[in-house]
Amino acid sequence: MSRGENKASQESLEAMIHFSEQYARKSETYFCVDPVVTAAVVEGLAKHKDELGSPLCPCRYYADKEAEVKVAYWNCPCVPMRERKECHCLLFLTPDNSFAGTQQVFERVEVSYHD
Amino acid sequence: MSAAFPVTDSTFQQEVLNSEIPVLVDFWAPWCGPCRMVAPVVDEIAEQYSGRIKVVKLNTDDNHQVASTYEIQSIPTLMIFKSGAKVDKIVGAVPKATLATTLEKHL
Repeated sequence: MSRGENKASQESLEAMIHFSEQYARKSETYFCVDPVVTAAVVEGLAKHKDELGSPLCPCRYYADKEAEVKVAYWNCPCVPMRERKECHCLLFLTPDNSFAGTQQVFERVEVSYHD
Repeated sequence: MSAAFPVTDSTFQQEVLNSEIPVLVDFWAPWCGPCRMVAPVVDEIAEQYSGRIKVVKLNTDDNHQVASTYEIQSIPTLMIFKSGAKVDKIVGAVPKATLATTLEKHL
């Protein structure tokens, strides 16, 4: 069943929520103070998982998404995140980041797609 | 209602490159979290500088030609165009003051 315009499957969404919470704890990072940011990114990761088989970062432009998935550099958690805890998508934030909140538990907020 | 209006691959030339006043372009994608943070800042700028600059947004998922031409990588990316040429670029979600300072240089 469709969850709405331009959204991921329920299955992929749940998988990415689980991954995000687990990885935040493991990397000792926190979600954004604005839960809409977190929810949008997790939706984007889940949508890429549906379409491409891998959670490609939704905060980049790719000329060829299929080719990018194979390269794997920007598959979440991306190389900059794994090596230096750098997430320009603002999903996983170190406590010193001004956008960091205090939560490692995903907050289910309704985020709609619009142009 | 967003103050920044959408442009596409087919309207970019007319709306951005042929514009007589400087243009701020917000390159965004639907599920980019930080794009949702920067959008209201861009809208505020559009209102504040109304008549002096044009403010538009381009969905990179739907408009590959322009996104590739300007080598967009990380999004959000904000670009300033003047007389048909790119004159400045800001990558990532930035506070309004940062964007205004950059913009002022080109007015």
